[in-house]
Amino acid sequence: MNDMELVSLWSALEPSARRRARIETRVFDWIEAGETSIAGEWLALLKVEPLTALACVSFGAVSFVLLTPVGWLTSLAIGVTRFGG
Amino acid sequence: MIAIAVLPAAVVFPRASLVASCFKALSALFGDDAELLDEAAVLQLVERARAGDRAARQRLYRQHVGRVFRTVRGMLRSNAEAEDVTQDAMLAALTSLDRYSPRSGTRFAAWLTAIAINTTRRRFRRWRPELTATGELPEVPAADGDPGDDVDRARQRSALLRALAELEPREREIVSLRYGAELNAAEIAAQLELEPANVRKILERVRARLGERIVALMQPGVSA
Repeated sequence: MNDMELVSLWSALEPSARRRARIETRVFDWIEAGETSIAGEWLALLKVEPLTALACVSFGAVSFVLLTPVGWLTSLAIGVTRFGG
Repeated sequence: MIAIAVLPAAVVFPRASLVASCFKALSALFGDDAELLDEAAVLQLVERARAGDRAARQRLYRQHVGRVFRTVRGMLRSNAEAEDVTQDAMLAALTSLDRYSPRSGTRFAAWLTAIAINTTRRRFRRWRPELTATGELPEVPAADGDPGDDVDRARQRSALLRALAELEPREREIVSLRYGAELNAAEIAAQLELEPANVRKILERVRARLGERIVALMQPGVSA
């Protein structure tokens, strides 16, 4: 068997079309994710799913406003219980 | 047995080139870049990809992904492992194109293959306890064939993988780099830190052994 025949035979190891597509999707998804800023991600989400994006933003804002004082109060209560008594 | 050994490869693989042509045409349909570019065109793609041209990066990827996969497939135990290594290697290469310097005299394909080989070695190190004492791959190659394959191609793949599994790891690396990545002896020698003359000698010896073994495994009646 000569060099050319072996090179031709090695082509039998090529990935199937489905496998090739899967690799390509993963590689380029990773690259895109690495290159896209968080603001860009939000803008993209706003374009594709405006209602979901607005719901997420609202939920995040409300959580931030409400949960931060709740956290302070909880930690204060824990501190008082443990060390203040 | 002697008659089997002296059968010309053309008799055993009468449709190998036809199958390869069909495969290339199908691959082009499913995202492969069938038209192979010369080194100057590849370097232009590298420059454009570095400058942020996404189309150039994708073309560069499609030009080389098949080569990387078939190179590492011969060294790993399954298609799934080869898929993971190919993915990691392509990702590493495409995100570090700035590190590639054609001035060093290294072809892009050789640089990319070096990344793939390093990724494969890292994987081998991780799995060392599972390897047999002789360093042979404990896989039955036919087990993970793709269902879409035609029978000839599946037999060829199975025979090749079985023959490769019987080689020493270093021999397997050398033939995979030669016939999978299509590197020349000097490029292989540079990657494996060997003398080119030594690589040529090993290739000559292994090619004969591999050829005989594949021909024998391809005979009707031999279970693939």
